Amino acid sequence: MKNYPIWKSFTVVSLVLLGIIFAVPSIIYDENSENWFLKNKINLGLDLQGGSYLLLEVQLDVLYKEELDNFVDSVRLISRDQAVKIEKIDIQENEVLVFFANKDKIKDIRDSFFQMYRGVSLQIKDNKLSIKLNDEYKKTIQDSAIKQSLEIVRKRIDESGTKEPLIQRSGKKRILLQLPGVKDPERIKDLLGKTAKLTFHIVDDENTSALNNNLAPFGKMIVLDIYDENIKYLLNKRAVVGGENLVDAKGSFDQTEGHAVSFRFDTEGAQKFGKVTTNNIGKRMAVVLDGVVITAPRISSAITGGSGIITGNFNAQEASDLAVLLRAGALPAPLEIVEERSVGAGLGADSIAAGQIAAIIGMVLVCIFMILIYGTFGALANVSLIVNLFIIISLLGTIGATLTLPGIAGIVLTIGMAVDANVLIFERIKEESLKQTKVFQIVKNGFDRAMSTILDANITTLIAAVLLFAFGSGPIRGFSITLSLGVIASMFTALMLTNFLVYLYLSFANKKELKL
Amino acid sequence: MFGLNKIIPVEPNINFLSLRRNFLIFSILAMLISIFLLSIKGLNLGIDFKGGTLIEVSTKNTSIGELREILSSSYSDVSLQEFGNENIILIRLQNKNNQESIETVNSVKNLIQDNVVEFRRSEFVGPTISSELLFRGFQAVSFALIAILIYIWLRFEWQFGFGAVVALTHDVLFTLGLLSILNVEFSLATIAAILTIAGYSINDTVVIFDRVRENLRKYKKLELVDLFNLSVNNTLSRTIMTSLTTLLALVSLFIFGGEVIRPFALTMIIGVIIGTYSSVFIAVPTLLIFKFRPQDEDD
Repeated sequence: MKNYPIWKSFTVVSLVLLGIIFAVPSIIYDENSENWFLKNKINLGLDLQGGSYLLLEVQLDVLYKEELDNFVDSVRLISRDQAVKIEKIDIQENEVLVFFANKDKIKDIRDSFFQMYRGVSLQIKDNKLSIKLNDEYKKTIQDSAIKQSLEIVRKRIDESGTKEPLIQRSGKKRILLQLPGVKDPERIKDLLGKTAKLTFHIVDDENTSALNNNLAPFGKMIVLDIYDENIKYLLNKRAVVGGENLVDAKGSFDQTEGHAVSFRFDTEGAQKFGKVTTNNIGKRMAVVLDGVVITAPRISSAITGGSGIITGNFNAQEASDLAVLLRAGALPAPLEIVEERSVGAGLGADSIAAGQIAAIIGMVLVCIFMILIYGTFGALANVSLIVNLFIIISLLGTIGATLTLPGIAGIVLTIGMAVDANVLIFERIKEESLKQTKVFQIVKNGFDRAMSTILDANITTLIAAVLLFAFGSGPIRGFSITLSLGVIASMFTALMLTNFLVYLYLSFANKKELKL
Repeated sequence: MFGLNKIIPVEPNINFLSLRRNFLIFSILAMLISIFLLSIKGLNLGIDFKGGTLIEVSTKNTSIGELREILSSSYSDVSLQEFGNENIILIRLQNKNNQESIETVNSVKNLIQDNVVEFRRSEFVGPTISSELLFRGFQAVSFALIAILIYIWLRFEWQFGFGAVVALTHDVLFTLGLLSILNVEFSLATIAAILTIAGYSINDTVVIFDRVRENLRKYKKLELVDLFNLSVNNTLSRTIMTSLTTLLALVSLFIFGGEVIRPFALTMIIGVIIGTYSSVFIAVPTLLIFKFRPQDEDD
């Protein structure tokens, strides 16, 4: 071919071929293929394949509050050891203020306290000790809470049998979940909605006046019954043993009590449990889950085997879910669902079908229009447009991008916008053809003159797309990806492929003059 | 070779700028009305920005009225809407807090279980998230405008950047005003559409500016008004062609792309038309404010 370097033809043809070949995996779309080549297919977003997206927020305030309560308990213990009387304790938002009867030993108390909680801000003023949760201390709590929560959430999701979940931290205090193919997000939400903090406490049935006045003495706490709010229990605040000592839990069936959860302690838990049950025969042992008593059976004999069952008015599903929660462990703080988007497989399939139809019809319309306006040159531009679409698909597949519904919209939009570069070139050729008669010179000038305009015009669109990616979330990012790829691919197809095709056509048709 | 492109003459000679006052008045009015509408009526915010719960169901032998009756006994602020065809219904609920809405979804599902073939989609956006999304959308649009201004400034003279941003602000305001009148749902996808419109409109403007710059070098003696007219005419057939192909694709998306994407397609169609108009009738005349070509004084 005259006037066209061989290396350039070679580059264009091979890039086009690559573009077409790597679109194949996404077009065949074999979901389960293990073939290295066929695996390079487009990932469908949750809005296209169906599934659930959940954004959870760790309730850090609860943790801060808990830590302040711990401060109070510890400072009480320390001052009791030092035999200093506390006059008043004032719990504020981020701070505990302790007023002592005298200020003699206040420094000692401060030092002992600091031994236990390094990093808190402590200040003494007269007889007042202020214990403050500073930002750094809070950040430590926050980081470890998120890390723990992530791990527990992962375990719970795995236990629920969800395939290929995506679980990751998002921002400071959030966890993002993507659960492809989940049909019933309600069950997952139930599983995640519980902290599942399980503890065993000895019940104090003697001090009835405390229950009547609804005022727990130091070292005790009042807890409600899960089924009946009028039933209250006075419990030792200190737990005998907790969920962290469990090694196994599963749903089981008890002849007399119905559905139950059977559990097994680790060695340490078994020892503690054995010791306490031996010493407290005749008393009741309350099982507390997330701040309410599920059951409080009387200890009839020492339980030293390290295993037992929890009964309650469970049905089979509840018992097995509770077992899942206990196996996975307790969340450090409650999780709140702040955003949810679930799409059924039906809607996803409908969206794909509609997107395909829109893309094909849009493509056909644009192609017809181009041929009507530019004739043969229009047909050449159409070849570029089709290759452009293949390149977008193959790029999406090879970089492992996720195609979303807005992403499909981006592709359809690109079909309309991609011919722009070709139009710019053809219009320049048209102008040039008025100035001179040498066919190849006309074409060369046309492409050269259009080049800088094409770059300027497309870069502004890319700027918008990049900002959309930076600030957008989920599906919208899908749009900015397809739009950017489309713009980039259209520059290539117009400046390289259309260029090649025009030269090829002019060489073979052996045109002596050019009228566009 | 055939081709209908000969309909538009190669060097059309339409005096666009003679009408610039009329168009300027029209656009200023349109922007004022848009601002008025946005502050009085506002936009039809979807759950992305307002927060709340949305459930899409396909029903069997149940009319929207029957479904409304079932739900309105339990929820006072429920709204139902047919979505595409009469068997597909969107249910919207407003919730006070996150916990409540999770329970709401569950109980709504239980209430209408027997009348529903499939729960096609359920979305919930909490109040903290919706305000964050709104803020980030606003950020994205502002940063895009600034970034585009900087780019144009670097590539052209600053006066061009000014012209481009006037046109862009016009496009965004005008489009939002029309969305308000047409009551089109304003969602995350709409923000995407607005940003794309900004990109598209500036694309159009840049092509014309490019030609203005070229002609400024080429025809040193030409009156500015004539030179701008010439540049618009030079690029006219390209401007029309690209708008038409983009609109063809968008109309196809609007008609066949499905109900969920329709507001996006509509917003884009409006924006492409406004963007094309503003490139020719707003961006270019704005350049006239500035006295270009300091070299004239040297002559």
